[in-house]
Amino acid sequence: MKFILQIILIAILSAAVEFILPWWSVAVVAFIVTLVMGGKGGRGFLAGFLGVGLCWLVVALCHDVANEHILSARMAVLFKLPNYGMFMVVTVFIGGLIGGLAGWAGALLKPVKGR
Amino acid sequence: MRRFFGGLLLVITTVLIYVLDKPMGALPAIGRLIDPVNGCWANAEPVNKDFSADQKFPGIKHEATVWIDGQMVPHIHAATDHDVYFIEGYIHAYFRLWQMDMQTRAAAGRVSEVVGQKAFEFDRKQRRKGMGFAAENSLKAMEADPRTKQMMDAYTEGVNNYISSLCYRSYPLEYKLMGFAPEQWTNLKSALLLKYMADDLTGATDDIALTYLRDVLAPKDFQLLFPDKIAGSSPAIPKGTVFDKPSLTVPAVPTDTTIFPHYKTTDFGEQKEEGKGSNNWAISGARTVSGAAILCNDPHLGLNLPSLWYAIQLQVPGMNVYGVSLPGTPGIVIGFNDSLSWGFTNNYRDVKDFYEIKPVEGNKNKYWLSGKQMDFSTRVEHITIKGKPEFVDTIKYTIHGPVYFDEHYATKDGLRRMLAICWMAYKPTNEMLCIYNLNRAKNYNQFVDAILNFQCPAQNMAYADRQGNIALWGQGQFVNKWKDQGKYVMDGSDTATLWKELIPMRENPHVLNPQQGYVCSANQSSTDSTYPYYYNGTFRELRAWRINQVLSGMQKASLDDMFRLQNETYSILAANTVPVMLKALSVKLSSDGNKYIEQLKSWDYRLDKESTIATFYQIWWSCLYRDLWSGAFGKVPDQLWPTTERTMQLLQDTAFGNRSPEVNKSYKEAYDSVKKLEATIGTDWYKVKNTTVAHLTKLPAFSYDHLKIGGWGNAVNAVKSDHGPSWRMVVQMGKEIEAYGVYPGGQSGNPGSKHYADLLQNWVDGKYYRLLFLPNSDNQGNKSIKYTWKVK
Repeated sequence: MKFILQIILIAILSAAVEFILPWWSVAVVAFIVTLVMGGKGGRGFLAGFLGVGLCWLVVALCHDVANEHILSARMAVLFKLPNYGMFMVVTVFIGGLIGGLAGWAGALLKPVKGR
Repeated sequence: MRRFFGGLLLVITTVLIYVLDKPMGALPAIGRLIDPVNGCWANAEPVNKDFSADQKFPGIKHEATVWIDGQMVPHIHAATDHDVYFIEGYIHAYFRLWQMDMQTRAAAGRVSEVVGQKAFEFDRKQRRKGMGFAAENSLKAMEADPRTKQMMDAYTEGVNNYISSLCYRSYPLEYKLMGFAPEQWTNLKSALLLKYMADDLTGATDDIALTYLRDVLAPKDFQLLFPDKIAGSSPAIPKGTVFDKPSLTVPAVPTDTTIFPHYKTTDFGEQKEEGKGSNNWAISGARTVSGAAILCNDPHLGLNLPSLWYAIQLQVPGMNVYGVSLPGTPGIVIGFNDSLSWGFTNNYRDVKDFYEIKPVEGNKNKYWLSGKQMDFSTRVEHITIKGKPEFVDTIKYTIHGPVYFDEHYATKDGLRRMLAICWMAYKPTNEMLCIYNLNRAKNYNQFVDAILNFQCPAQNMAYADRQGNIALWGQGQFVNKWKDQGKYVMDGSDTATLWKELIPMRENPHVLNPQQGYVCSANQSSTDSTYPYYYNGTFRELRAWRINQVLSGMQKASLDDMFRLQNETYSILAANTVPVMLKALSVKLSSDGNKYIEQLKSWDYRLDKESTIATFYQIWWSCLYRDLWSGAFGKVPDQLWPTTERTMQLLQDTAFGNRSPEVNKSYKEAYDSVKKLEATIGTDWYKVKNTTVAHLTKLPAFSYDHLKIGGWGNAVNAVKSDHGPSWRMVVQMGKEIEAYGVYPGGQSGNPGSKHYADLLQNWVDGKYYRLLFLPNSDNQGNKSIKYTWKVK
């Protein structure tokens, strides 16, 4: 439950901070959320990856569906990717990776009680 | 351990972010770019976006309305001049900001600032040419007139109002890809854009190459191959037009023999094709089905995305005008208002001359002029190069103009002498005032008064009004020259070579309601030889011959006839050369070769998109042209060879000798090329010529290639590889104005918008849009209006 909550919290906070701060602020969000809420290291990575990934997937999908893939198809050609779907996958993966690494670091650095 | 690993991960994350936030080589900062919230995804415009809005603009004095129609053409209705140009500026920026920015950077030689070293040579050339100098001079004239000052100030205000509303998220996509930010707009940028057009249209001249050829060829051959006026020209101002008595005396040719310098091949660097053309014509009401005059125009320019033109309607009390505007400048360049219509084609009269400068030996700061030592003035150009230190070029200026080539600067193939340029574009001219008045003109006299302000680039301006009048002016500011003045490079130390009197612009070649019932210009010679003043230029005749041929045979012209003619692929060159080529051909044909020859014999000379024989002919012709001239002219500077039309005439002339050797050789070359094409991409004409409408960055992802369209430079539908009709317009000036138009692109400059290139296919197919010309009113009930901006 805490894990799911972490993912949702990272996703929502990421979307919110990005309206004011640069794109990499998602890493800060993932880091702080896992730093505060903790969890096993590997889970921190997953929470960050899925949280930021979810945020980016939803935002990108909203744009892409309304746009009928005009832009994503062009960007796919630009980056020599086979189709617009792959551009979406690459986008979400990069966001997820940044969030995951930051989340993992946060989980590991959380002060452990009683030590 | 856990902390160490956590710390290590934190470092890795930071490094990764750092890497993804930095542009690498030609690649943009990937992280920033792909971020769905702020990056490129934010430029994905919803296909059903509702553009209706309530806009609040500080600076707008009265309420205004913008109606946007189904083709995304805005119709601005405002109470004052200030407001209408403010809103036009805002809208141009809203849809085309990056393009405006890049094109003015290109004009000013400021591209390296955003793309780095690779644009440096281009930038330096622009600086040496004096583009900034030219724009600053014109800006002074534009700001000295209260009408154009207000027009440009309001426009700039509107553009800047839009720019100040932007953040990274709302930047046009290309800024994100190239990693730079929009900067404030200025009136100078608008002036630069007009000079960019002047350079595009009058910048290329044959002066240097002709200077060389004049010495290399015997005078008889020189006249034969490079005649001043080609025989059989059908001039823009019809033959037989009576010209007013000139108010100036044409000066006598100076008697000194040193007025033209002499050059050998060794004076040039290493040496390594056809210009821009356009068509316009107007038919008087007496010769149309409807009885109303019809005006047609298709200016041929570089085919790019975002498109050069932006369609728009502007309304204030006293002005209701529709047409195409140049994003980056206020007003409408080509179009019609509720009284009259006008179109432009380039007038190739030479307005750019070269002077060889004799520097004073031992003193770098002085040059000779008629026995006196003159001081060079200087202009210091700072070229900012992304990722590199600034480059400073000190350019010398003479009384003629800037020194283009000198000991500090030479292009790879350029002349190794000190050469200054004298160019009409350097003069403080106010073309904006022409646009201002033209957009408001009510009748022929007001049209003439307006265009007298259009000095450079020289244009053939066609006119038609609702009274059924038609006219054509060979417009521009010209110099009263002695014969051959400016045709060749001139001695810059001799005052006899200086530009002196200007020809009064009312004496420019023109015709109102000629007997023939139509006027047409397609970059051909301006006049017949009865025009009293001297001029030279790089005129082209082929399309003019064809348009005259068609229009002179047309008694009752309909709009459909006009559409058909603008899209006609008939090659007058092929019609004239195929018979002589076949006659001269004397090789033994293979069975395949025989097939081509049979097809040529029964060909209708149309360069249709899927024609394979058109491909065969075009390749054969270009091989023949090369084989005829490369021996004699391969090393001529700027590759100046006899024109296509002159070559055609010579081939038809038996005095030119037996050309079978070249015809046979080129036939074999063409045969081999076509065989290779058949084995690879095929020989459909459109596949071979590959018409491409490329994004200004040349990125294939944002471009369209292999467009299925016929034509070529030698047909009325002059669609070449990357040049062609940039705006096709047909306007019938009846009781109700009936206007049609199409251009190869779309109203939006955003590659993520469905309006980025949504007009392109109809342009390719030769189809037109009925242009929505709204009455000048506060309220509109037209069903074609899709969105409305209420502006306060």
